[in-house]
Amino acid sequence: MKELEEKIVQAASLEALEKVRVELFGKKGVLAAEFAKMKDIPGPEKKAFAEGLNQTKAVLQERFDTRYEALKAEEIEKLLKAEAIDVSLYGNKVQKGALHPVMETMDKIIDYFIALNFAVESGPMVEDDFHNFEALNLPKYHPARDMQDTFYFGDGSLLRTHTSPVQIRTMLETKPPIRMIAPGSVFRRDYDVTHTPMFHQVEGLVVDEKGKISFANLKAILTDFLRYLFGDVEVRFRPSFFPFTEPSAEADISCPFCGGDGCRVCSHTGWIEILGCGIVDPNVFKAVGYDDVSGYAFGLGIERIAMLIHQIPDLRSLFEGDIRLLEQFR
Amino acid sequence: MIVTRSWLNEFIDLSDVSNDTLYKTFNAIGLEVDSIKKITIPEKVVVGKVLSCEKHPDADKLNVCKINVGTGTRQIVCGAANVVNAEYVAVATIGAELPGDFVIKHAKLRGVESEGMVCSSTELGLPAMGDGIMILDESIGALEVGKELGAYPAVADTIFELELTANRGDCLSIYGVARDLSVALDRELKVFEYKQEEKMKLGIAREAEIHQEGEIDADLYYKLANLEQAHSSFLISLRLAMIDESTEGKLDAMLKYAMHTTGIALRAYQSSLFRKDEKVTVSVRSSEKGIVEVVGNGKVFSTVGVNQDETAKATDESDQILIEASYINPDVMVEAVWSAEASFVTDDLYYYTSRGSNPDLAFGLSYLSMLLDTYFEFSCYEGALRVEVSREKEAIAVDTKEISSIIGMEIEKSRIVSILQHLEFVISSVDETVVSATIPLFRHDIKNVQDVAEEIVRIIGINHIEAKPLAFTEANRLNTTSDRYKVKKAFKNRAVGCGFYENVSYIFTQKTVLEKYGFPTVEEKLELSNPIAEELNTLRTTILTNLLQAVKRNVSYSKKSIPLFEIGTVFDPQRQEKEVLSFVVSGHSESESVQNAGKPKSIDFAAFVDKISAIIGAFELVPCSRSNGLIHPYQSAEIVVDGRVCGYLSKLHPTVQESYDIPVTFIAEIDLDPLLPKHINAEGVSRFQGVYKDLSVVIDKSILYYEVAKVIKGLDLPMLKDAYPVDIYEDEKLGEKKSLTIRFFIQSMEDTLKEGDIEKVMDSIMSALAEAFHAQIR
Repeated sequence: MKELEEKIVQAASLEALEKVRVELFGKKGVLAAEFAKMKDIPGPEKKAFAEGLNQTKAVLQERFDTRYEALKAEEIEKLLKAEAIDVSLYGNKVQKGALHPVMETMDKIIDYFIALNFAVESGPMVEDDFHNFEALNLPKYHPARDMQDTFYFGDGSLLRTHTSPVQIRTMLETKPPIRMIAPGSVFRRDYDVTHTPMFHQVEGLVVDEKGKISFANLKAILTDFLRYLFGDVEVRFRPSFFPFTEPSAEADISCPFCGGDGCRVCSHTGWIEILGCGIVDPNVFKAVGYDDVSGYAFGLGIERIAMLIHQIPDLRSLFEGDIRLLEQFR
Repeated sequence: MIVTRSWLNEFIDLSDVSNDTLYKTFNAIGLEVDSIKKITIPEKVVVGKVLSCEKHPDADKLNVCKINVGTGTRQIVCGAANVVNAEYVAVATIGAELPGDFVIKHAKLRGVESEGMVCSSTELGLPAMGDGIMILDESIGALEVGKELGAYPAVADTIFELELTANRGDCLSIYGVARDLSVALDRELKVFEYKQEEKMKLGIAREAEIHQEGEIDADLYYKLANLEQAHSSFLISLRLAMIDESTEGKLDAMLKYAMHTTGIALRAYQSSLFRKDEKVTVSVRSSEKGIVEVVGNGKVFSTVGVNQDETAKATDESDQILIEASYINPDVMVEAVWSAEASFVTDDLYYYTSRGSNPDLAFGLSYLSMLLDTYFEFSCYEGALRVEVSREKEAIAVDTKEISSIIGMEIEKSRIVSILQHLEFVISSVDETVVSATIPLFRHDIKNVQDVAEEIVRIIGINHIEAKPLAFTEANRLNTTSDRYKVKKAFKNRAVGCGFYENVSYIFTQKTVLEKYGFPTVEEKLELSNPIAEELNTLRTTILTNLLQAVKRNVSYSKKSIPLFEIGTVFDPQRQEKEVLSFVVSGHSESESVQNAGKPKSIDFAAFVDKISAIIGAFELVPCSRSNGLIHPYQSAEIVVDGRVCGYLSKLHPTVQESYDIPVTFIAEIDLDPLLPKHINAEGVSRFQGVYKDLSVVIDKSILYYEVAKVIKGLDLPMLKDAYPVDIYEDEKLGEKKSLTIRFFIQSMEDTLKEGDIEKVMDSIMSALAEAFHAQIR
């Protein structure tokens, strides 16, 4: 018996164990031979013999099963081991490209306003004087209208200098109430470390019945928007001047990098200027033939914001398709 | 606009107002503070009186001075040439720590003891004021020998640089800023009063006269004065340095100083030029609204508010000068200058006059007289020559309820009245809700109720307005542009998923580059007239040349796999805009890795097509019929979506590849519009099993697959669900023929396929191909 148990335990492989199984449990195996002896055992001893034999068989079966499980597990382990690879070799295989940080920032801004039921509007890049200047309360001789800054074409058309002409087009084509944003490229004739001849803006306009829209509304939405974009920052409004809004203001956020204590990013002022806004000037409404309405408008430059959020040092690098910059945004 | 604390203090008492409060107040009222600089004069820098000054025995350029510094007389060696003329100077005594960790110690200079240093402005952290040391005078207050220089507020001043918006011409002077501060801080302005010393009893009329020609739309005051000696003043030089103003002589310095202080447009002429028959005769003429010329002896010496003839300017050497103070309505003048046929040369003064200079001419002349009396040897004729326009002050009636509704907060009528009064509006009547007032002349920017609302907002402070969300219920605003934006975003995300990087490039490009590669260009008459640079001199008609430029750049950065895309606008020759998707893959089609043993395949046609289809979805490719310099004639295809050609893809022409010096490159440019999602109706799917069946046919080499596909499609077999090429085989035995293997998927909608069904389909395909191409079964 001990010897039989030993045989099972000693079996080194599933094949060896199979041989032991045949030897023990097979039709011509040891146990079969033992059971065959039963017919020669006299009646009174038969029962005890049978019980003893069954017990032995059960013990052996149990030993066999245990050994079988162990060998099976060993074999699977061996199989698995044979398939082993150095997974760390594959960690640097990034197949994804990247969105441009300026476009990604613009998308984030658009998503906010879509969620607030603003329509997205667009307009041509090649504009005329009326939509780009005149209708926006910027008559030809206005000091805020710098000729030098505008790209002109031979036929007197120009490249839009801001996204504001989309406001004018939308107002001329539709009726109030209006709630719109206009994202897009704009162009100024300026090229140095902090200026590129093309950059991006998002413009917003809300128009409703007279008396319905106030400066307080403008403050509410822009404060919420700036916190959506920059997280938990303070928002401050300063009076300013734009020809197409009156009253006008600029909105600053407390510097997200130093928490307002002053650092390089905020030029040690603790504040960063983000956008311009105001109540739509009555001359703008007059230009599009709107009576008895009120409205607010705002506009912001995307490059500046993207550079701020992602700490991109060089504005011009944004227009060079430099993969070394872009791949950081994968 | 630069202001300083002590300068403002001439007009408003700021003694109890901290710099921080000033900073906040400026920002709150719309005078944005760009920078603040507090000047701190180091301790132990004192007023010294030069008692003697002798040449250093061993050094030509050094002087040995005896200087009283209050606590005694010190011997100090000084290298500045101008110490010779100095009486009072700033002396850094032993132990003083100057900026840059420079501590003053006993020293021996070429063998001569020196106990201190005579300072220049920059050595003390003040702005540069010319060569040499600072020569002090009593313009900064009584000079006491030994007194700390830092105790003089005009020296240890605080400089605020304000960014003024274009509408605030009224704040282009110290006085104007002080006036705005007085409203915000709710305190009175100090009254400037100067009674001129009558050195000369002679009235101006004896010596000078004025003539008018045409309708003069400007105010002009003239004073005549004899100039004996011009002097400079420390305070004036220091402050002009603080505001970074350069001057041509002492008289010019006084004029600029007076203008910066008062905001009044001032000029000075050599009176001799106007002398006619012993009398100074000034003719003022206007033939066009907004253009007023000042003429002497038939010669135009100045256009009011615009420019002045260089040769007519009075200088420090002039014996007699004619001083002019002027005001002209900026809107009228600027429009006239802008629309004039002959273009005007404008000078520094135009910056003030075009934004609105101070109309209070008497104030300007009296301030300038005060300066000249104090610092120059000078005598003035009594009275002034005047041209004055009777100007009706603009009146405005504002509904206080409307103001509250614009702001979104209830503002009391009394508050509005009080703010307007402080801003120098003259209230004419106040009824239940309406306040009527006249607008001060210096606020030509105020025209309507919203302008007034802006003033109220400025003074009460935006941060005191409570934010209120706008409540609305209305229909959704998801329009086609919004949809288009989402579609573009989806394309972008898919491109990124395929490994592309998003590029953003200028809509400009170089015309010769477009021409070189055979792309259309914008018609000459519609072309940009003032491009910013030669290489950006036209509008792009393709994005691909910009992308290739980016590829080239990335190659130079040692990038080996360069997949870039851009979704943007291109123009046609008539300058019509359309949006396209442009792709370029240059170099490796995948990254270097263990799998490819560091040698990835170059991008090839199949791999490029895979990437593009993963982004834009299903399309067919047909041989390219268009040509431009970038297209490879034998590896290029039109992209067909829903039967419509909407773009192309191609291997980059090898000569272009070579000229850009970049690896193997593939390009594609596809119109966005045909790719916008379309409505799709689902077809039923079969519940019965289908079979795949291959067919190999031998056809002429020249027959392209899409021609074969067209024929098969034309059969319109209901059971033929799909057909696609799986193999091409050519060998010598086949000669000018090739073997094409097509795999078909055959399935019935109605029933299990029966014996004969498959054969019927295959037979009809085969006989069609035989008829069309003389195809034979291989």
